[in-house]
Amino acid sequence: MMDNTSQMSRRELLAVSAGAASALALAEEASAFAELEVPQKRIIDANVSLFRWPFRRFPLDETRLLAEKLQSLGVSEAWAGSFEGVFHRDVAGVNSRLVDECRKHPIFLPIGSVNLTLPGWETDLQRCLGQHNMVGVRVHPNYHGYTLEREAFAELLSIAAEAGRFVQIAVSMEDTRTQNELVPVADVDISPLVPLLKQHQKARVHLLNYRPQATFLEQIRELPGVYFDTARVDGTDSIPRLVEAAAPGRVLFGSHAPFLVPEAALIRTHESGLLDTHTLQDVLADNANRFREAESA
Amino acid sequence: MNSDDALPGLPSPQRLKDYRIWDSYFTPSYAHPGRDGSSQLIADVERSLPAIRAGHFERLCYFAHVGLGTTTDADYETLAQTQPEALLKPLETWPDMLMGMIMLNGQRVDASLDALNRWLRDGPMLGVYFPGGGPAALSCSHPNFHKLVQRIAELRGVIVQHTWFKTGGKQSPGESTPSELAELAARYPEQKFICAHAGGEWEKGIRAVRESPNILVETSGFDATAGFIEMAVRELGPERIVFGSHLPSRSLGTELGKIIGASIPERAKSMILGENYRNLLQPILTSKRT
Repeated sequence: MMDNTSQMSRRELLAVSAGAASALALAEEASAFAELEVPQKRIIDANVSLFRWPFRRFPLDETRLLAEKLQSLGVSEAWAGSFEGVFHRDVAGVNSRLVDECRKHPIFLPIGSVNLTLPGWETDLQRCLGQHNMVGVRVHPNYHGYTLEREAFAELLSIAAEAGRFVQIAVSMEDTRTQNELVPVADVDISPLVPLLKQHQKARVHLLNYRPQATFLEQIRELPGVYFDTARVDGTDSIPRLVEAAAPGRVLFGSHAPFLVPEAALIRTHESGLLDTHTLQDVLADNANRFREAESA
Repeated sequence: MNSDDALPGLPSPQRLKDYRIWDSYFTPSYAHPGRDGSSQLIADVERSLPAIRAGHFERLCYFAHVGLGTTTDADYETLAQTQPEALLKPLETWPDMLMGMIMLNGQRVDASLDALNRWLRDGPMLGVYFPGGGPAALSCSHPNFHKLVQRIAELRGVIVQHTWFKTGGKQSPGESTPSELAELAARYPEQKFICAHAGGEWEKGIRAVRESPNILVETSGFDATAGFIEMAVRELGPERIVFGSHLPSRSLGTELGKIIGASIPERAKSMILGENYRNLLQPILTSKRT
């Protein structure tokens, strides 16, 4: 039996959402499926990565294969970081390769990596925003060895916000229980985001692979800039509960492919029958569209 | 939508029906079924029904607390011992959908042997589950297991052992690893064992049981990490893999997604999703019919 003590329980999620405007149409019967309109628009996957994970090969870690699989599932656009960005120190080279790969496979939108512990990270950031004209950047604080209290992180948030771009924080890449023994990496402590986002009201942050915790959701509900994805939110009704607990429009479809099987998060969005058609469409694409367009506006 | 249309990420309803999905690891209200013996468990089955129907599952097997000290609730343990009929309500409510196994307590051998007679020999249960956590957890390398395994084999029951290989080692001494299960299974070559969660860290778990032909791996309990099923099919063969949903605490997406999203033949998917588990249950189902 799993022991996910850090994951928010259904009861906690319900408690958080008490009194909040409901985004759900709670289905009384499983027959809700018969009435569920499958969204006709295409899907945006806000959380994929390209290239190779150093500890394991994935069946879809060839870009062409990943593109084909995502398209077969109805995904028309995927925001792609780079596994190389987690481990390499020539980050400029990592980001150039990512841009080149995305040009070859236009379903992917490149999201550059920035490592705030490296000298000259500001140049990498400027190249992402300027030279490559990326819509956002991705950071891996746990793998890069810093906390969100690092001064440079506030600086990054500020620069990205001023440029109208978003920041993706990879809260985890892999379950801590299954990581390589030589490279154990705890999930990112995101609690410093609460005071930071109060100071940086224009910042937009997408938490990748985050498992909801009631306390944090309560703290950030009134803050405008925090978004979640579906990749590692588990439990049959977990995504509808997160949609209800978070502020409206804050849950994006993200699969964490090719590390995870992309069908997993996609099925999870609708399996409980608790999201109405409109809200399901928000999760699968419209929230991501609004998130991105808000940045570039 | 039209009932013949596939929902996002899922195969068509007809293909799902053709798989004839039998779920070997259904965990409604896993830690406690409710003080009356079943109400929480029934509520969690109902919570799972949309996913069960979306996946077109035929049957699901859950694990019952039967008063062997597998919960921490003394009142419940007394109820389970004195009013065992109170535990049967889930099976009575969904007789065509649910199957049951009992949670055993390796620390209480005599009581567990009595429970085997009551619930497997004379009752409706089809096998046993050895937990990896909670008050009854005991590593399957412990000698207490031998008497129990022998009796379960006599009754033709199925044995499910919770297993994990965790980075940094065991979090409690009662946990079992796939390597420990392989040692136990080697002593009983005629008995089949299910290695629940394939060890969690499946790359090690699959290796640990690879040379144990009487061990099948169960697929639930961890993220839908890509490549798991492909490796398991390559190293064990599809006949040694059984599907588990871990609903409702895990999801249809995570657990069914592992199988339907894998790059393996359709025939292998059918075996994993139902056929292998039906084969495993066949001896005890046959003995109960006769």
